[in-house]
Amino acid sequence: MNKCVLVFLAAVSLRAQVSQADLEQGVNQNWLTYVGDYFGQRHSPLKQIDTANVRRLVPKWVRHFNEAGDLETVPLVYQGVMYSTGSNAIFALDAVSGKEIWHYQPQGTRRRSSNRGLAVFGDRLFFETSDCHLLALDRRNGAIFWERDFADGNKAYSCTGAPLAVKNKIIVGVASSGKSCYVAALSAETGAEAWRVWSVPHAGEPGADTWGHLPLDWGGGPTWTTGTYDPGLNLLYWPTGNPWPDFGGGERPGDNLFTDSVLAIDPDTGRTKWYFQFVPHDTHDWDANETPVLFDTVFRGKRRKLLLQANRDGFYYILDRETGEFLHASAFVNKLTWASGIDSKGRPILLPHNDPTPAGTRVCPSVHGATNWWAPSLNPDLGLFFVVALEECEIYYSSEQNPTPNSGYRGTGHTSIPSEPGSFYLRALDATTGKLRWEYQMSGPTTMWAGTVSTAGGLVFSADDDGDLIAFNSKTGKDLWHFYMGANLHSSPMTFAVAGQQYVTVAAGTNLFTFGLMGD
Amino acid sequence: MKLSLLAILFMNLALAQLGRVGAPSAANPLARDPKAVAAGETQFQQLCTGCHGRSGEGGQGEGKGPNLMNSWEIRRASDRQLFAFIHDGVSGTAMPAFALPDQSIRELAAYVRSLNAPANSVPVSGDAHAGEGLFFGKAGCAGCHMIRGHGGYLGPDLSEIGAKRRLGELRQALLHPDTLATDGYSPVMLQSAQGKQIKAIVKQQSNWSISVLDETGELHLLRGSEMRRVSAQLRQWMPADYADRLTPDEIQNLLAYLSRQSLHLPTTSSERPSASAEEPN
Repeated sequence: MNKCVLVFLAAVSLRAQVSQADLEQGVNQNWLTYVGDYFGQRHSPLKQIDTANVRRLVPKWVRHFNEAGDLETVPLVYQGVMYSTGSNAIFALDAVSGKEIWHYQPQGTRRRSSNRGLAVFGDRLFFETSDCHLLALDRRNGAIFWERDFADGNKAYSCTGAPLAVKNKIIVGVASSGKSCYVAALSAETGAEAWRVWSVPHAGEPGADTWGHLPLDWGGGPTWTTGTYDPGLNLLYWPTGNPWPDFGGGERPGDNLFTDSVLAIDPDTGRTKWYFQFVPHDTHDWDANETPVLFDTVFRGKRRKLLLQANRDGFYYILDRETGEFLHASAFVNKLTWASGIDSKGRPILLPHNDPTPAGTRVCPSVHGATNWWAPSLNPDLGLFFVVALEECEIYYSSEQNPTPNSGYRGTGHTSIPSEPGSFYLRALDATTGKLRWEYQMSGPTTMWAGTVSTAGGLVFSADDDGDLIAFNSKTGKDLWHFYMGANLHSSPMTFAVAGQQYVTVAAGTNLFTFGLMGD
Repeated sequence: MKLSLLAILFMNLALAQLGRVGAPSAANPLARDPKAVAAGETQFQQLCTGCHGRSGEGGQGEGKGPNLMNSWEIRRASDRQLFAFIHDGVSGTAMPAFALPDQSIRELAAYVRSLNAPANSVPVSGDAHAGEGLFFGKAGCAGCHMIRGHGGYLGPDLSEIGAKRRLGELRQALLHPDTLATDGYSPVMLQSAQGKQIKAIVKQQSNWSISVLDETGELHLLRGSEMRRVSAQLRQWMPADYADRLTPDEIQNLLAYLSRQSLHLPTTSSERPSASAEEPN
């Protein structure tokens, strides 16, 4: 009798848990990772909303978040419950009505900060506070299991990213103002740290000789966006940010490994299998924190496992993600002055007079980047990679000062060029060649941070630079529907379904909007 | 008239001067002494409840004394000022001077301080280990409340309750749960698909939808006619008879355990402060 009861209870609890298999299955009616699926494609098989009926899309609910600033969150949805973040706060909402089921606000004084979302695994939600504590909560009632300070209480780090759950580990990253950064794996069960991979090597380690005399506990290489994961290869792909001081390269001669790179990490051991650096010795803050999108397809006649990244430096890269071999790079913006191309080894072919100077140097792309951390997406059926691109140049400055860590010092900075305003585009690239298939030019002040989501309904959703959410025909780029959100987007849309009805959700300003078809 | 006012003023000044002389210059040495807090509570019940209420809630008697459980004046006051409030009274108010020995005033101050501080920042007498046993055993708390992921779903998570609530609030919640707000925890019975009645709570409700969390931890998002499966209950799930079911010592042990619940304090049994560690050095 007791055995029967136990078996029944186990079955109930198993049914309610987000398993590794669920995460590997990818996007369906649920949306279980910040980037939707492990591959970072942000392509949903949902097709109730399609090119024919998208004009009937209407707002279903709006949820305001107090004290949140501009929301950067991408919510998760599991079994009809939406889990969203504000600034140091977590909310469980009825995904159909938007009504709050519970919320959790961590105790203690925290800096108001952006936050991009959560991870879910088993019955637990995982969330990073702005001061780099990882919290594990019961997703059903918001009860807390534990809180772990994964930056060792060091005030030099800040955290804004959504963690990634991989096989009972929670992968987290950090950002800093000069301090060298790392990716860490914590036990989903206890929060104990399993491993830590530094983006700036320690003395004596490979790559340590690429930093000149800069102390190796400084150098940046922040890891603040969410990486992707290939369960078949058991490799985690985690991007790293730019070296510090951002604009002053004189203090750090060399390639500054492993900044502006993607690291391929075995999540079981924390061993780095390979790395690829996009911008050696970066002096323009062109971090590589854009999503590394994984795609299995035929490339130059051979079936390959690819890693795609539209990088802030203006080039679209294709790597072999088993080995890290460089396969292809082509510019996806026209305003690009710093390199004439990428050579056969993957190194940029530098053009002269692009380093920041005390008097100022005009360089394209701008610091905002040819793209940035906002989400790209990939329609694997069409073989199209959708990226929000910015055509913009800026004046970059450097200074002669000695670097002062943790002071906000960046080696000076950059200014816009009023006579040369930039412009945003949504671009569809051929995923295996990088060739432009279509583009849509946005109007606006070049202040948005909106990403994309692709659907099997033949749509790609993104936003323009004036605060409109737009549905595009993913084959042609024609705008089929738009809705003014009242604020510029600092986030990327996502889509999910409850009881057979498809919805699209996106944050704009301090509000979370959810849309569905009228009459359904 | 003028003379009498002057006399009162003079007396007050003299008392204030006495207060300065008599008041300790340093922090109250008894502030973290559970015995002193308990002694202060005994005196408080004899001397102060007429105006400040039995739990320090205020608003009683002719003086309508201020609430001492949620007082910014008391939180801001130094130990020396708190001592002077009691020893000298507060001029311009009904608060009289209390001609008590310094020790008694310090005990009273320690008790009043404990009313205002989160429970985990004040000494709480009782055996926390025994309290943990009660929480997960005889008292049945864990049937509805979680601590660090262990427990039930019908009541609020108590993992951080020692850092969020004052001791007086914990006592009030335990002994008089009918005075608690029930937002997010309103009791309902949910009819399952098989017709079985399941204990549950309402997380949110409107005329169009209701979210119900049942005692097994399953969330039900109900709309339209499905909402009829939910029937409201008059009495909340929290038992109202702990004062009868538990002895005073058991209640104190439970409070000692709950007051330690915070993510930022050690909670494993090996790290838990022993009863003797609570005593002042």
